[in-house]
Amino acid sequence: MANRLDQTSPYYIDNRKRVADLQKAMEREGLDAYLGTRPRTLSFLLDAFIPWRSYVVVPRKGEPILHTFIVDATRVGDETWLSTDNVRAYAPMGGQDPVSLIAACLTEELGIERGRLGVEDGIATYTAEGNLSHYEYTQLEAALPGWTLVNAHHLVDELSIIKDAPTVARFREASRIVDVGQRAVFEALSDGGWKHLTETVVGGIAALAMRKEGSVSEWNFAGLNEISSGYRTALGACTPPTTKALAAGEPLMVDLHSMFHLALGDHSHNYLIGPATKRQRRHADNFVDLVQTVLDHYREGATPSSLAQVMMDRAESLDCSDFLLPGCEHGIGLFGDEWRIGHAMEGPFPYWTNPDHVYQEGEMVICAMQYASMEEGIGFRYENPILIGKRGCEPLSKHPLVIEEIF
Amino acid sequence: MDEKLEYLSARWRDEGLKLLVSEIDPAKMHNVTTSMVDIYENGPEGKEYFLYLKCEDGKVVAFETGELPAPEAEFIIRGPYSVFASITRGELSSTRALMTGKLRLKGNMAKAVRLAPLADRVNKVLSMIPTDYREV
Repeated sequence: MANRLDQTSPYYIDNRKRVADLQKAMEREGLDAYLGTRPRTLSFLLDAFIPWRSYVVVPRKGEPILHTFIVDATRVGDETWLSTDNVRAYAPMGGQDPVSLIAACLTEELGIERGRLGVEDGIATYTAEGNLSHYEYTQLEAALPGWTLVNAHHLVDELSIIKDAPTVARFREASRIVDVGQRAVFEALSDGGWKHLTETVVGGIAALAMRKEGSVSEWNFAGLNEISSGYRTALGACTPPTTKALAAGEPLMVDLHSMFHLALGDHSHNYLIGPATKRQRRHADNFVDLVQTVLDHYREGATPSSLAQVMMDRAESLDCSDFLLPGCEHGIGLFGDEWRIGHAMEGPFPYWTNPDHVYQEGEMVICAMQYASMEEGIGFRYENPILIGKRGCEPLSKHPLVIEEIF
Repeated sequence: MDEKLEYLSARWRDEGLKLLVSEIDPAKMHNVTTSMVDIYENGPEGKEYFLYLKCEDGKVVAFETGELPAPEAEFIIRGPYSVFASITRGELSSTRALMTGKLRLKGNMAKAVRLAPLADRVNKVLSMIPTDYREV
């Protein structure tokens, strides 16, 4: 596997440039330092998997300094591009708590007695967003009497919105891996194989296949590989697998997640376990039609609301609009960056996707559509990372967009 | 040696260096190169003292004690004189003293945690010196 820190690798990201770009933005906004706490910021700047509560101090000049939980500091130091000396551990020991370390780092090591510190605050649908907590905020304020804390997460969000070529290459590989997982599930289901399977086992079959291909995590916060069957396919957009056995005449939804160098594979595929009724087939055909219609309209200049309108108009003509959730995407980036689209707080609801956000070439989203008829106990989900271009989009998962009837 | 040497005095330091050089196996010190200084607060006569240790490739190459100012070091550990005295007597581990907040460490914790067993070995050697701790 190509090492992402090898400059000849297609997955090599110029992390120093990312930091330099952030430092330029900090200068523009008069920030003397930036304190990143969100996993999305840590992934974007440090290019390592950093799941424990961590704090990266980015000075106006020079290399960032990471403070991470002692149990994981050595591994993170081994995996990030930062020099080992700049990966520090915090621990429940005198002088080694996070706030003391951050304060000493700013005032003693960097020698800045007074200044403006950018911090990350806000709200998210994502529990693991990682904003600075009230406790951390007040403790830092007390430990840094000469400093003003300023919410500045938009700087990182703005820098990370357009995906550079190595990031896209990582996403393509993560999607290739997900496709291998989808093929493994298809083969396991075929020729009556489904009769011996439960939702959890389907998730495991996919996980094994993807791990063999180099995926390091079924990263999804909402249940890893999300598998649902029967009436559970109609329960919405979060379906961690259960021990429910697959059954004839039921739909099956297989939503797989892989992670490759922090890039996130995310593809949901649907089946009908035969024999399917004509009504089930009709729902399935409607859904495939709707997904293809929406995919055909993604391009630079489109907006979430224009795409939702395209979807709902098509659903009306297919007489299935009652079964759709009125949205067709969520944001995506390196590990920790999920859900909200765009970076600016310009929509009607702060920290929610602005429905009038205008897509640009190089943005990525997950095209995500959910179709459900609760009364009939049937639902489908489509998810696929797409790269937005000037005249269209590239769906990164290449698994065929069909809903097969499995026997 | 029957005579008790005054803690952190020049004679105690000389005896300590002699023992550290003879008793410490560089391999058991993982051939580490580092330096640390302990800052003793609220010592006898209300003064502040230091204990400085430097290792190169696992060998103790410098061991100094005295009143502040202290030499610069990779790690600085600060705390009450009485706590350091307990550690040198072998009554308290330096790790436990840090974990309970009796001592405060400055320096890269990720590296320090790997050095904790080495610090305990050093303290074990120093505990062999007959010492008058001049309790305050």
